[in-house]
Amino acid sequence: MSRTFLNTEYTRRDLMRLSLASALGVSCSGWLPSLARAAAERKNGRACILLWMNGGPSQTDTFDPKPDHDNGGPVKTIQTAVPGIQISEYLPGVSKEMKNLAIIRSLTSREGDHGRATQLMLTGYRPQPATDYPSLGSLIAKELGDSSSELPNYISLSPVRFAQAGGPGFLGPQFAPLVVSGNSSDTRARANLNIENLAPPAEVGLGGMKSRLQVLDLLQSEFSSRYESEASRAHRANVERTARMIESQAKNAFKLDEEPDEIREAYGRNRFGQGCLLARRLVERGVPFVEVTLAQVPGAGAAWDTHANNFNSVRALCEVLDPAWSSLVRELRERGLLDNTLVVWMGEFGRTPQINPNTGRDHFPGAWTTVLGGAGIRTGQVVGNTGKDGMAVVDRPVTVPEFYATLCAALGIDYAKQNFTPQGRPIALVDEGGKPLAELVG
Amino acid sequence: MNSPLSPLRHICVLAGLCVLLTVQTPSAAAEPTGSARIATPHELAAWIDERLANHFVKTGAAQPALVDDATFLRRTYLDLVGTLPKVSEVRDFLDDESDQKRTRLIDRLLADPRFAAHLARTWRRVLVTDSNSAAAFGGQIEQWLTEQLAQNAGFDELTRKLITAGGAEPAADANGEDDADDDQEAPASQQTSAAAYLRSTGGDPASVAGSVSRIFLGVRIECAQCHDHPFTDWKQQDFWGIAAFFAGARYNRPLPVPNNQEQPPTTDERVTSITPPDIGRTYQASFLWDGEAVPQIPEDKLPRQVFADWLTSQENPHFAATAVNRVWQQLCGHGLTESVDDLDRAEEVERALLLDDLAHHFAEHQFDLKWLISGICRSKAYQFAPNTTADGAGQVAARPLKVLSPEQVFDALEVALALPISRLDEGPRFNGQRNEMIARLGETASTSPDKFRAGIPQMLMLMNGVLTGEATSLDKSRTLRAVIDAPFLDDPEKIETLFLATLTRRPSAVEARRLTEHVEKRAAAGERGQAYAEILWALINSPEFVLIR
Repeated sequence: MSRTFLNTEYTRRDLMRLSLASALGVSCSGWLPSLARAAAERKNGRACILLWMNGGPSQTDTFDPKPDHDNGGPVKTIQTAVPGIQISEYLPGVSKEMKNLAIIRSLTSREGDHGRATQLMLTGYRPQPATDYPSLGSLIAKELGDSSSELPNYISLSPVRFAQAGGPGFLGPQFAPLVVSGNSSDTRARANLNIENLAPPAEVGLGGMKSRLQVLDLLQSEFSSRYESEASRAHRANVERTARMIESQAKNAFKLDEEPDEIREAYGRNRFGQGCLLARRLVERGVPFVEVTLAQVPGAGAAWDTHANNFNSVRALCEVLDPAWSSLVRELRERGLLDNTLVVWMGEFGRTPQINPNTGRDHFPGAWTTVLGGAGIRTGQVVGNTGKDGMAVVDRPVTVPEFYATLCAALGIDYAKQNFTPQGRPIALVDEGGKPLAELVG
Repeated sequence: MNSPLSPLRHICVLAGLCVLLTVQTPSAAAEPTGSARIATPHELAAWIDERLANHFVKTGAAQPALVDDATFLRRTYLDLVGTLPKVSEVRDFLDDESDQKRTRLIDRLLADPRFAAHLARTWRRVLVTDSNSAAAFGGQIEQWLTEQLAQNAGFDELTRKLITAGGAEPAADANGEDDADDDQEAPASQQTSAAAYLRSTGGDPASVAGSVSRIFLGVRIECAQCHDHPFTDWKQQDFWGIAAFFAGARYNRPLPVPNNQEQPPTTDERVTSITPPDIGRTYQASFLWDGEAVPQIPEDKLPRQVFADWLTSQENPHFAATAVNRVWQQLCGHGLTESVDDLDRAEEVERALLLDDLAHHFAEHQFDLKWLISGICRSKAYQFAPNTTADGAGQVAARPLKVLSPEQVFDALEVALALPISRLDEGPRFNGQRNEMIARLGETASTSPDKFRAGIPQMLMLMNGVLTGEATSLDKSRTLRAVIDAPFLDDPEKIETLFLATLTRRPSAVEARRLTEHVEKRAAAGERGQAYAEILWALINSPEFVLIR
């Protein structure tokens, strides 16, 4: 059902783009990919969108409210679409989608430093100097992606973090993310999250690019006939990946101005909102893993790292988060994509339930919250409990390996599968002790 | 701006000398068997060549071929000064018939002011990796290293300064957030610049212990932070014993504890013990390989100075070997052991072939990096052609391709494309393009020279970015205009000039023929200029441009 719908959609876009391209006098013959292939490019048709909350979001002021305790602060709770589940008043849009979301209130980890915790949550392993663990996006790109697809299999949108993380680790450059910084001196490019340098200079055009690539091919062949090596193979693979993106112009995924204004408004006219919209467009075009980071919001200078002025900051962040996330879930559902697309909401840790003297909340990895939806997750429920004051998990503690195993299971990936480091050391997709949560999957 | 600081610098140098003398007097490291004292880089090269020749005879392996002049020129330029020679220099070198021209080139480049700057960048990447959240410290460290290396400071002296630097205490930080931004505004004195390395590690005693032992001793004892090491002999005492020397250092942040509550920092610089909060046991300062014996701390020294003296002593088996191993890796693409920061995993036969004795010569020659580099570059080992020979002894005959660093890519483009270099011209050094390119390429820079890690954004920048666009634009490119408009060059000569400018070599017969055909075909359609633009574009986007043969 959804396939037919998608194909129709692509054909319409295809025609739109063709007319646009002809108007610009660019010959497209032999350059355009068959967009109908897109859904088949993912090995099992599943995809994951990670909404990364840089800095560590407050669970108490979002999904684990404590209205009857001092720790709850001034935030009120609201009833959600699921009877019995209450969340923060800051998330009215999300509350209406609660039937499509599952809250894990009992995640527990041991890393309280931004850098180490970010690495832990983005790789599933506690950081160790001797091993460069691949990030979740790279792991999934390897399992679900097609190495010959026009778009990269792992795309990261505006990843501003308190640590360098999110790379391919020992899996190597073919599993590195395409990072869309969103930074540009061109305001139009910023508003549209354009990918930089995707188009050749105007005077060269796509036709000129083809000619350039032919000369490059000659030089590459000469070089690799004399110096075949790991580095020259990696270079060649990258040229091919990049050329496919230039040739297909990334399937116009980054042309957000194709979207109706009311859709763009619904997601929110800001980097995170437009990033969520772009994530939907990328998943529609066959990309198996997209990460969207929520980091820069006016009124919340340190993002979710709310050591001071917590409540105003969290409200400002939620004003960006709520419309974007709820629009994403709604659109995925309406387009028949939600059954195959896992949406993950998480940061590197939670925040102290007690409120500090600066009206802030500090780092708290002991008992915190993540939210999952889509891809067959049993939604409309809460897992775990942090008691009256939120200071500790009192029911169903969930470890990071268990959480990772759950993500894998929802995506149809064998969590026990091993990758090998260049030294031949086997590393399982999920760290020891990880079993999927039976309440949510399987 | 420098003048008020110079007395301080003198004191540092004097202090360094005193330490040098006190350490070296008692040392009498054993002579390597079968070799006399080596004085000149020439003697060092001859010694390396003899060792390897014997090795090849013994193993029956063929010695790899040596590179031709053009490859040697490109390799040496990029390795020693970090950029490419100009076309005229390439032609002069290739036409020079002297059999001394390679050694003369080495000497000329070692005397070039760009040598210290390039070596400083290389070591900055060792000290502060780009993937480190504290990469902001890199600029300070690089500038400090450039000054030190321009004066040819010994590697021991330089190391002592790096790990004993005090520096100002970081500003009080109520939020417990990263204070890297604040640090950039600290006064850039010699002390704080040197201290930037220690602070870039994270600044707490555990991070310092892990980084110092890995970078300067080639041992990976970080795992022993939480538990005794399962594969080697490292115990928690080894790790925390080193950390304890740094427990009272003033630049320090205290050890973080779970849930972000921090221990109050110690104010006593002479403290020699440490109590990690999540272990709850107190460890006394101790050296590696020395059991739990507590070292004597003289009245006039701080604990970390005593550690630095031990670390950089000629008698320390790992310090010189690790430095030599890294220099070898920087020049030849791989170390003399499989992993340069894990000597514990090295095989006895690997170390015996060259590493241990080369380290001895280096230590005996005042840890002089320029002398070491000069000797290695003169040896045949440096001049091996690229190959993937596996000979089982540290792969000494293998010669992988190396990947240009972000700065090397920009600097090479600047020469090859004859980019404007003055402030008046608003060249890319001054209009932000250089920084933009290096930042983008730096996102995927590798610490291992033979690993190519660039991704699509990096490729897109080199393929379609502003700098490439202007450099291959018929209206704007200086190199292109100079070549296309040169009335005295025919098509094959024009193609040759583009090759010399970008790849430091003449085109092969196949390349010359096919590219000439390409030009003629496009010329017939009135697009001769575009043909040259395409060739120049392909040359700077070719694997050969971003790799060192």
